[in-house]
Amino acid sequence: MRAVPGPQSSVLSLQAMGLSVPGRLEDLSVDLGPGELVALVGPNGAGKSTLIQALVGLLPSHGTVLWNGQTLSHIPAAERGRRLAWVGQEAQFEFAFPVREVVTQGRYAWGDDPAGVTEALAELDLGFLADRPVTRLSGGERHRVALARALATRAPIQLWDEPVAQLDVRHALEVMRLARRLAAAGGTVLVSLHDLRAAYRFDRVLVLDRGRLVGNGRPHEVLTAELIRQVFRVEATFVESLVPELPEA
Amino acid sequence: MRPRLAIPALLALLVVAFLASLAFGELRLSFGQVVAALGGGGDDIARTVVRDFRLPRALVGMAAGAALAASGVVMQAFFRNPLASPGLLGVSSGGALGAVAVLALGPMLGFASATLWALPAASVLGAFLATGAVLMLAQRGAGTERLLLSGVALNALLGAGTSFLLTTTAGHFEVNAQILFWLMGGLESRSWEHVWMGVPAILAGCLLLLPLGRAMDLLSLGEQSAQSLGVDVRRLRRQLIALSTVLTALATAVGGVIGFVGLVVPHILRLAFGPAHRRLLPYAMLGGAAFLLACDLITRLFPLGLRLGVVTALVGGPFFLWLLRRPR
Repeated sequence: MRAVPGPQSSVLSLQAMGLSVPGRLEDLSVDLGPGELVALVGPNGAGKSTLIQALVGLLPSHGTVLWNGQTLSHIPAAERGRRLAWVGQEAQFEFAFPVREVVTQGRYAWGDDPAGVTEALAELDLGFLADRPVTRLSGGERHRVALARALATRAPIQLWDEPVAQLDVRHALEVMRLARRLAAAGGTVLVSLHDLRAAYRFDRVLVLDRGRLVGNGRPHEVLTAELIRQVFRVEATFVESLVPELPEA
Repeated sequence: MRPRLAIPALLALLVVAFLASLAFGELRLSFGQVVAALGGGGDDIARTVVRDFRLPRALVGMAAGAALAASGVVMQAFFRNPLASPGLLGVSSGGALGAVAVLALGPMLGFASATLWALPAASVLGAFLATGAVLMLAQRGAGTERLLLSGVALNALLGAGTSFLLTTTAGHFEVNAQILFWLMGGLESRSWEHVWMGVPAILAGCLLLLPLGRAMDLLSLGEQSAQSLGVDVRRLRRQLIALSTVLTALATAVGGVIGFVGLVVPHILRLAFGPAHRRLLPYAMLGGAAFLLACDLITRLFPLGLRLGVVTALVGGPFFLWLLRRPR
């Protein structure tokens, strides 16, 4: 049993954070520790993407964002790129870069690493698309490119905003396995999701509702029928059902 | 096409266009005569024609072409829109209005002698005002419609200002002719003074742009993702907007309004060699220089009163329409 980490051991910490836009995020405090695989769930418009973007430093917010105890705004741009990788909800590319070049951009803050890029491509099953212009990919394939680029950074903190929403069942499972492995290797992985069943398999679940954090803890403690009814306005029953799994390697 | 071939191919094109623009004209010279004249030999007339008239004209043309094409590349990455360019967004018109204001008002205010230096300064000022307006009207990542419509509105507004200055100076034939010259763009009677006025600064601007290619790659695929990957986006945006505006303004100051270079040249090179900016920037500089020299050559070989801005528009207009129809 892992204790919810306090600020001392936290890799990523939000203290009393809010957004100037009223009602978007209110007085949020969260700490994410090393080796944690955390799911972020909540209805549409609850503020999941907003919270992730605030953690990345993409939105002006009040309150404090700390990375390894250091105030975000004091960390130089390049150093941010080395510490944290972000995958946005939109994977739209305007220019026809080959897939490999897009993934190589993940190395911007570090310097080239062709082997690492090839590895990231393989990890997201993009090897055969490496030379294809990114503008000619399907929505799901573009998301995998964005994930591969984040992976190529080798940043210890990975924040992925709905990475599997557009993926087929196999690739979605592979991305989940990848997230699990990064966390097992000591990384901090935060993934926003709509699939509550998938969220059930994370170390920790954060539940957002209308800009407030209404749940934070182990899945079976947080995702109760009661909370799901209140937040998502659906009835949840716990039954056996079809569970697709990746075959043993 | 292989990127490896790009630099040699573009350099070869540029050298051919350069030598041709020194050789062709009212007095037709052989390449031997041109080379001799450049080296300080040959007969007096050829030497005068080459060194005092055609060489400055070619240098100004190359610099203006490189500046406009590089500016186009930058604006396309900045707005994440392949249809952005200095002409279509109104930055060239802003530069022209600044230049025309100096031409029209200078003699009245009594600083005609300083005009040659006041011109680029006013042009830079006008171009910055136009850039500021575009930034307000069409935010980054704005859709093609919004961006182009902002450009249309701004071009109309700045054009009206220029027309006003043109009509208020209607009595002064000399000033009027000069203004028309700017509006149609051209490299006639460019002297060494124009070379010093524009070329070194354009060269410096181009050199400052070259190291930004990699960061531009990231920016062109999304501002937020670029920032998350370690690009100092605010700083990069400031650098890019300043450099592209100054380059456009200087090109306009020495050559008048020359449209479509910033659109046509980057597009062809992107289709041929891919979108990576660390390569596209130097290619566009070489290609833009060669393209403008070639267009200038056409105005000289077919002396129908064709103006440089008219030739680039004849090439660029249909190309732009083709781009609009093309599925993206």
